[in-house]
Amino acid sequence: MKRLVVMLLLAAAPLAAQDYRLRLDARVQSVSFRGVALDSILAGAAVADSVGSLYTPDGFAVVCLPGEAYCTYFRPGPTLVGAPLVTTVGGSVWGFGVRGLSAHGTARFGADLSSDDAWPGTDPAVQLVEGYVQYAAERVTAKAGRQIVYSRLGTTGFDGANVTWRVPRQHVNVAGYLGWGLARGVALPVTSPALNPLDDFQPQQRQIIAGLDADWTARLGEARLLYQREVDPQARKFVSERVAVSGSVRPAAGWTVSGGAEYDMAAGWWGSADLSVGYATRTITGVLEGRRYRPHFDLWTIWGAFSPVPYHSLRGSVSVRPSRPVQVHARGEVYRFDPAEVSAPLVPYETDGYRAELGATVDPKPGWTIDAGYTREFGPGAASVGGGGSITYAPTRQTRVTLYGQAHNRPLEFRYSESALRVLGFDGGTDLNDRVRLSLGAMRYAEERRRPDAAEFDWTQWRLTAGITWLLARGGDLENLPPAVRRMPGGRNGGER
Amino acid sequence: MIGLLLVTSLVQAPDSGGFDHLKHKALFPSCTTCHGGAETKGASLWPTESSCVACHDGKIEKAVAWRPRTTPRRSNLRFDHIQHRVAGKARPAPCAACHTEAGEPRMAVRPPVVGRCLDCHGIRTAHLAAADSTCTTCHVPLVRAVALTRSDVARFPAPPSHEDPRWPGREGHGAVARGTLTTNCATCHAQEFCYQCHAGGTPPRAIAALASDSRSTALAAHRAPASHGANFADRHAALAATGTASCSSCHIRSDCLECHRATAANAPGYHVAGFLSRHPAAAYARETSCSDCHSERSFCAACHQQSGLVAERGLRTGFHDGNRFFSAGHGGAARQSLESCVSCHSERDCLPCHSAVGGRRYNPHGPGFDAERLRRKNIQMCTVCHGTAVPGG
Repeated sequence: MKRLVVMLLLAAAPLAAQDYRLRLDARVQSVSFRGVALDSILAGAAVADSVGSLYTPDGFAVVCLPGEAYCTYFRPGPTLVGAPLVTTVGGSVWGFGVRGLSAHGTARFGADLSSDDAWPGTDPAVQLVEGYVQYAAERVTAKAGRQIVYSRLGTTGFDGANVTWRVPRQHVNVAGYLGWGLARGVALPVTSPALNPLDDFQPQQRQIIAGLDADWTARLGEARLLYQREVDPQARKFVSERVAVSGSVRPAAGWTVSGGAEYDMAAGWWGSADLSVGYATRTITGVLEGRRYRPHFDLWTIWGAFSPVPYHSLRGSVSVRPSRPVQVHARGEVYRFDPAEVSAPLVPYETDGYRAELGATVDPKPGWTIDAGYTREFGPGAASVGGGGSITYAPTRQTRVTLYGQAHNRPLEFRYSESALRVLGFDGGTDLNDRVRLSLGAMRYAEERRRPDAAEFDWTQWRLTAGITWLLARGGDLENLPPAVRRMPGGRNGGER
Repeated sequence: MIGLLLVTSLVQAPDSGGFDHLKHKALFPSCTTCHGGAETKGASLWPTESSCVACHDGKIEKAVAWRPRTTPRRSNLRFDHIQHRVAGKARPAPCAACHTEAGEPRMAVRPPVVGRCLDCHGIRTAHLAAADSTCTTCHVPLVRAVALTRSDVARFPAPPSHEDPRWPGREGHGAVARGTLTTNCATCHAQEFCYQCHAGGTPPRAIAALASDSRSTALAAHRAPASHGANFADRHAALAATGTASCSSCHIRSDCLECHRATAANAPGYHVAGFLSRHPAAAYARETSCSDCHSERSFCAACHQQSGLVAERGLRTGFHDGNRFFSAGHGGAARQSLESCVSCHSERDCLPCHSAVGGRRYNPHGPGFDAERLRRKNIQMCTVCHGTAVPGG
C-alpha cells in the first residue's frame, strides 16, 4: 500500500503539466407521491359483484388464485418523499508525454436524500460507467479498462481491452474486444446484489464477453458486421451469441436507405430487423420504415424459453417546413404480433396496435418557440390518447425557459385503471459563463386513477429539479462547453433549428 | 469542420484615422512624404505628430489630435510595402493602385481595395469566392496574425463554399482539407476549431498539420449537415448503428451520453418532457428497445415497486385485477410483452406452474423454440425447470 501511495505521489508531479477536461453534472430532485401497501383478506371474506368480480367488503378489487387461502390487493399507503441527488462526473486527461495517450472516465454518484429511500437507481451509490486508458494512433486505437461498445446489439459494457485497426485506404475499421461483461442496461456486473430480484438465478461469476466488429465506409454508404458472444466461465456455457449486420446507402442527394438485422445464434432465431428509406432536405424530411422487434434475453435467465414472439411494423414520419418559422410533423406506425400459439379463451388480448402523432413547431419571433402535438397510441397492454405543448423563450444563447403541459388518458388492458393525467411544468437554464450552467425545473404531475373500486386514489405529485453543470478544464483546446453537447444537430434540447 | 474563411477589410488596419487625403491633395505631391515607411526600410509608415502640427497649430489651422500607430496592425495580411515594391520591381505598382478604386482621383485614399489586389494577382472571382489555393497569396495563417483578437476572428465572414449543404461532410470540407494540405484552412483556422467536432477519435492528418491557436474557437464549427434535416434525433438510430465512424467525425461520446443514459433526476433528454405519463403504451409493445439503456431488473422494477406494480409475493398480488382469470390465461399476452412482465416479475413467480419437475407442469415453450440448440448452448437454463432429466440431454 505504501508503495502505491509513493507511486501516486511521484505521478502527481507530471500530472501537473497535463491537460484535462472535467465535466460535473449534478441534479437534485424532490418528489412527493402517494405510496401503496399490499394487503390481503381471507378468500372466504371476498364478495362477488353481479359479474363475478371479487372485492373486499370495503370495496377494493382483489386477486384470488385458485386454491389460495388469501386474496390480495393494494390499498393507498402513506405519502412517500424521494429526493434523489445524482451527479455524473466525466473527464479526460491527456498529455502524458506520449502522443495519442489519454485517460477517460465517467462515474455516477446517486443517493436518495430522503428518509423514505423511495427513489430507484440509487443503489449502489457509486457506479463507474466508463474508465479507460486509450492510445490512439493513425492506424490503431487501443483501450483498456471499463468501456461501452455501442452497436446494433445495444450498449455492451465490459472491463477489458478493445483494439481497433484502421485501413485508411480501404476505409475499413476492424475492432476486437474482450473482457468481463456488465449486465445489460446498467453499469453493474450481473453479480451485483443491486440487480435483485434475480435471486436464485443470479450468476456467481461475471460473463466473459468477446466481440469482433468490422465496418467499411464508402462515399455512398457504410456497412457493419458484428459478432459477439458472452460465456459463463463457471458453467463454460453461452450466455449469448449473436451476430448483427447493418448498412446504409446514400444513392442520391437527400436519400438514405438503411437497414440491418440481428440473428440470435444461441436461440436459433432472427431478432430485431429494420429497413428504412429516408429523404431529407432543409425543408422536408420523410422516413418510411419496415421493422421487426423481438426482445433478447440472456441464457442465464429462463425467459428465452418462453418463446417471446416478435412484432412486425410499418412506420413512417414526415416533417415539412412550409415557411421558415413553421414546421409540421406527423408520424404513424401500425404493428402486429406474430401468433403466440397459445390457447387462452379466458383472457382476450390485443395482438396489434398503432401509434400516431401530429404536431407543429412555430418560431414566431427570434427567441420564441411554440410546439404542440397530439398523440394516439393503442396496443396490447396499454393505450394513451392526448396531447401536449410547450412554449420556449430563449432571450439569449445562454438562457432558455420552457413551459410545457400535457394531458393524456391512459387506459390499461389487464388492470382496472384508466388514468387521467395532467402534466404542467417548466424547465429553465442559463449559462453563467462558458464553464457553468444552471438549470431549474418544476412539474405538477396530476394522475387521477379511475377505477370501479375503492382503490381509486390519485397519484398526484410535484417534482422539483435543480441542476448545475460545471466544466473544469485546462489546455489550449477549450474555450467553451463543447458545442456538440450544447447544440446537438436536430436534438430535442436546444437543437439547431 | 475545416474551412477557408478569407479575411476582408474587417480586420485590416483602420483607414486614414480621420485624415481627409483628398482635401490635402495639393499639399502632398508624393505619398511617401508622410508614409516614408512604404518606401524606405526602417522609416515609419505613418507621419509624426509634428508633421501635422506644422500647420494645425491651433492658430493657422485648428489643432488636431494625431498619434502615429505604435502597435502592430490587427490584420492577417501578408502584405509588406517594401517587399511588395521589391518583388514588383519590373512593374512597380503605385500606391493608388491599391488604395483607390479604379477611376478615382489621386488621393481619394481608402483602405486597400481587395478587388484591385485580386486583379493584379490574376484572381477573377469575388474575394470570398476565390479558389481555395489562393488565400495564402495575401494572408498569413491565423497563428501568425498575433494582433487579431477573438472578436476579430469571430467576425471572419464565411466564403460561399462553406454554405454548400455538403460542406460539413467529408466530400465537402474534408476533400478541401486533404487536397490543400490545410495551408489555406490555416488562414482562418487552427486545431482547436477542428476539435470542436473532431474530438471523438484520432484526428485526421489534415488537422494534425494545423497549428494550435485557441482564438480559432471564436468561430462556431457546428452546423448540421443537410442529411440530418429536421427531427434527426428521432431517426438517427439506424444510421448511428451502422456508421459510427461517420458519426464520430463530428460527435464525441458525450454527445450520445447526453441522452443515452438512465439517470434519475435528469432533465428530459432521450425522452420528451412528460414521457413518464405515457410510457406504459410505449413500453408494453416496445416502441424502442428499452433494455438497451434500462435494466428491467433494477430500473423498471425498483420504480414499479413504489407504485404497487411488483409481484412481491409471487403471483399473489393485486395488479392484474381487470380480469379475474388473468393468471390462468396470461400466456398470449406474456409471449407478446415478456419484457414488460419481467419488469415486475422474477423467474420464481413463473416456475410454480411452468416447471417440468413440480407444480402444474405447463409447458412454456412456444413458436421458434429450438430445444436441441439451447441445450447445446447452455444446458443450465434447461435444468432450472427440468432438473437433471433434460429431454434429449
